[in-house]
Amino acid sequence: MNMLKQILKDRLAGVSLFIVAITIAAGAFAPWLAPHDPNHIHMELRYAGPSWDFPLGNDHLGRDVLSRLIFGIRPSVLYVFAALLASVCMGAIVGFIAGYFRGRTDAVLMRVVDAMLSFPGYVLTLALIGMLGVGLENILIAFVLSKWAWFARIIRTSVMQIAETDYIKYSKTIGVGHLSIMARHIVPVSLPDIAVIASSAFGSMVLQISGFSFLGLGIQAPHAEWGMMLNEARTVMFSKPELMLAPGLTIILVVSAINFLSDALQGALDPKLMSSKAKFQARTAVSAARLQGKEVA
Amino acid sequence: MGWYMAKRGLYAIPMMIVISFLTFILIHLSPMDPAEVVLEAQGVPQITPELIAQTKAELGMDRPFLIRYANWLIDCLQLDFGHSYVSGEPVWTLLGPAFLNTLQLTFASVIAVIALSVGLGVICALREGRLLDRSVRGVSFFLTSMPSYLLASLMIWYFAVKLDLLPTSGMASSASYVLPVVVIAVNYAGIYFRMIRSSMISQLHEDYVLYGRASGLSETTITMHMIRNSLQIAISVFCMAVPIILGSTVVVENVFAWPGLGSLSMHAILSRDFPVIQAYVLVMAVAFVLFNTVSDMVNAAMNPKLRGDL
Amino acid sequence: MRKSWFTLIAGCMVLAVMLGGCSGTQAGSKEATNEAAHETPQESPQELVYAAAKDLIDMNPHVYAGSNSAQGMVYESLVEHTEEGIKPLLAESWEISGDGKSYTFHLRKDVNFHDGEPFNAEAVKLNIDAVQRNAKKHAWIKLSTKLTDVLVIDTHTVELVLSEPYYPTLNELSFTRPYVFVSPRNFIDGETKDGLNGYSGTGPYKLVEHKVDQQAVFEANEAYWGGSPAIKKITGKVLPAGETTFLALQKGEVNFVFTDDRGTDSIDVDAMTNLTDAGDYQIVRSKPMNTKMIVANSSQTNSPVHERAVRQAIWQAIDRETISKQIFSGTEPAAYTLFSSNVKYADVDLPQRGYDPEAARKLLEEAGWKLANGQEVRTKNGSKLTMKLYYDANSSSQKTQAEFIQHELKEIGMRLELVGEESTSVAKRRSAGDYELLFNQTWGLAYDPQSTIAAFTSESSYLHTTKGIARADELYDKIADVTVSMDETTRKSLYADILNIVHEEAVFIPLTNGGVTIVAPQSLQGIGFKQTQYELPFEKMNFNP
Repeated sequence: MNMLKQILKDRLAGVSLFIVAITIAAGAFAPWLAPHDPNHIHMELRYAGPSWDFPLGNDHLGRDVLSRLIFGIRPSVLYVFAALLASVCMGAIVGFIAGYFRGRTDAVLMRVVDAMLSFPGYVLTLALIGMLGVGLENILIAFVLSKWAWFARIIRTSVMQIAETDYIKYSKTIGVGHLSIMARHIVPVSLPDIAVIASSAFGSMVLQISGFSFLGLGIQAPHAEWGMMLNEARTVMFSKPELMLAPGLTIILVVSAINFLSDALQGALDPKLMSSKAKFQARTAVSAARLQGKEVA
Repeated sequence: MGWYMAKRGLYAIPMMIVISFLTFILIHLSPMDPAEVVLEAQGVPQITPELIAQTKAELGMDRPFLIRYANWLIDCLQLDFGHSYVSGEPVWTLLGPAFLNTLQLTFASVIAVIALSVGLGVICALREGRLLDRSVRGVSFFLTSMPSYLLASLMIWYFAVKLDLLPTSGMASSASYVLPVVVIAVNYAGIYFRMIRSSMISQLHEDYVLYGRASGLSETTITMHMIRNSLQIAISVFCMAVPIILGSTVVVENVFAWPGLGSLSMHAILSRDFPVIQAYVLVMAVAFVLFNTVSDMVNAAMNPKLRGDL
Repeated sequence: MRKSWFTLIAGCMVLAVMLGGCSGTQAGSKEATNEAAHETPQESPQELVYAAAKDLIDMNPHVYAGSNSAQGMVYESLVEHTEEGIKPLLAESWEISGDGKSYTFHLRKDVNFHDGEPFNAEAVKLNIDAVQRNAKKHAWIKLSTKLTDVLVIDTHTVELVLSEPYYPTLNELSFTRPYVFVSPRNFIDGETKDGLNGYSGTGPYKLVEHKVDQQAVFEANEAYWGGSPAIKKITGKVLPAGETTFLALQKGEVNFVFTDDRGTDSIDVDAMTNLTDAGDYQIVRSKPMNTKMIVANSSQTNSPVHERAVRQAIWQAIDRETISKQIFSGTEPAAYTLFSSNVKYADVDLPQRGYDPEAARKLLEEAGWKLANGQEVRTKNGSKLTMKLYYDANSSSQKTQAEFIQHELKEIGMRLELVGEESTSVAKRRSAGDYELLFNQTWGLAYDPQSTIAAFTSESSYLHTTKGIARADELYDKIADVTVSMDETTRKSLYADILNIVHEEAVFIPLTNGGVTIVAPQSLQGIGFKQTQYELPFEKMNFNP
């Protein structure tokens, strides 16, 4: 709560939070919010401009752009968010176990993590799409597979630091069970850390999935997705440029908000981040891992 | 020092074996029987179950898994990745040149990333909190949030068509590099620029700067010192950025029709050319590990404190 | 706090500039092209640079992976298919024996391959024999199953011996592949099936450079027996279809675009009109040459597509007039039969089957596909009425049609899943029978109807399409009869029967009649077409001086 308050102190971060929240809500309630069926075709309205009925105009099949934009939130943002949560959970479990128990468990788990991290995210995604076929699900699976290891490594580092603290050592000596130490002391302390790294990956994941859909490797017709909408608009980029405007602006706005929020979160958590050179160096290892998640679409 | 290097270098070997193993398994994920893939690649019109069994025997696919893996690995080490399912050519003749093209694009982009992020990082750190700093950060922030394909399309339209300065696509001349490199650089510089700026700012509060100022050194001399220090950061950024950018040129390559691995893999996927996909994954992962190893070594050489646990 | 606000504002400004640039495009591009129009007279183009959606892949004309149009520039056949019928090409004249089993060709004497080797009877024999040794690949071309011997009579006379009379022999010899001629010096171990070590043909152009996935350069063959072509250099550039090609055209990096051999138009119809409005380019459309269609795989016994009623329902659920009017802006007329009636032997009375969703629903109901309450997809015995439709991912018009058809089929309770792949992959699916529905087109005037129909029985073409229909055996018997029949009236009635069967079974669901579209510089003259959609007569084109 403290953190939330701190974030809200920054007005821009507040705006960002608002945008992200609205987007997620709009995606969740898309069937009630969207004025039309996003897949309903009106050929006679092909490329029609904005009107009262269709405020953002119609696309190459006369479908309502606004409705498609709203339904597009689901694959473009919500499903990505779900994939992110799944990979954070996987990463957190592995990270907690490795960081807490250390020793051989740690060594084995970290070798697995290293192996997963040796495939660049894009390559792993392309490999899975290549073998399993084009489709949104396969990209999401690839996201989970490629990101969990990265989360595991960072969470492990963070857990290791906490596990070294005196009160954990004390709890261990007085015989508190591993699970309750984890649940009571480690998870709450490391949660903010996890939130920061997860949010910093979110924006680039949204960009990536739209990139794959843009290339035609992602979502399949007729479902709406922002990258796909841009792809469809691209064929008429010069005769009907306004069609690129809505999905383009939406992506930029939402990704900016996510990134800004992530920054604010980090600022709230660690105001004096990287305040000295020593700290920078200590952090390089982590940031190197962190940057791996920053593949931009 | 030498010990660390040796250890780090040796560590790459088991990593590569794991990678090759995972890549080998990959082909089994495909909905097609590998024998069927081979037969299709040979253009056999009618694939019967008997023919599949026969091919399996011929190719040794009925032998134990590990032996098949070993045979495959030996072939790969000789750059024999089989034949493309589409053109029938050896995979390496397709992959090799494309890999070089992607490498060229990657290096050019990384250099641009460094130039942009170090340059802006230093300037912004010196002007911390002022108009210039704030506008550069604002702009970089929004460019980072922009999908690269959108940026690319806009740049092609503006610079290649409207101003008629640069070619729209392909890699016919050195001018062809400009647009893809700028798109990649703009996307990544935003990230690295912030890193460098923070480290410069922290340096500004370092003792040697304060001491230098106190003892009356000119600002230029101090700045030179700082730039020298930040060169170190630039090198480590460079090392980290090469493998990351190498693996993520897919979108840009496709928009600019760059004849590299990104375009190749995309065509391979859309034509279900499994041997090419497999080889692509292997080559990229191996390159990724190699560059990461080199990157760690360079970082460690410059920054002994980092030589902690592996 | 103020810092953050500033950041926001700065960011928004950049955004506004970038996107403002974008939305100003329409006006901007007009301006740009107008400027370009003023410039063109000074640097009027002298060579052609065409955009290709993919690499030419393989120049070996004895197999099928490569680009037809590129091979058509480099290699030649014995005879040529023209509007007026079969005409001499590498053969000056020929005689057909009375029993129709022997063809004697008198070759031109002034022809050399690009590498200097003479073109003679020996070369013809070597080439045709090499093709015949790879017979499996050529099953679609029935001549390959009937050709028994190639005899060298003298240096410039060669005789082809057939096992039985086959009336389309000359037709099939005119195709771009496989019966075209490569310098025997390019053979590897006397064979062509595993590749060539060079690509010397006899044609008006020779391949001088090929950079995979970048470009291929062709130069005029100065020693061409038909006279050196006027356009000295033709470059094929690999560009992604769509707006990249459009931009490259606008900028002059490429100056020629045409419908490629798989029927992919690189540029959207509206964008093309935009280009010609600016005055630099002309659009030339051929007469309708083929029928674009959806091919249904009747042999997929565990799929709904196996049922005739389902196929007929699909046929009746598609509103072709809207496709023609909206998606193709009227450039391609709607098609209701597999071959348009101007195709030889195809002017047959077939039962009318047009757009009638109500009838389609009724067909499905009668066939047992019921729509449960509240459901969108019909079911029968627990299985859903769901099928996959494969389209060429490079063709935006196919994607748009696919989405439109998907929507129309949804209205009658059928679900279509769309899968976009490279055209080579779609072609592979067709020959492997690994599909339910896919986009395809008939092969064009030189091939329709005899070769296209003969291909109904060929594994690599439409065997899977036709195999599962009720009257398959009858169909195959008639196809076997028609090509050997020497009598015109029997031939006619056999073709009528064949067309009736496939129409009744609705395995080829016609959409529109397509042709070849060319976007070329205004100053290019002599733009024409061949009788096939697969190649263009570049050697006849020239620039306005």
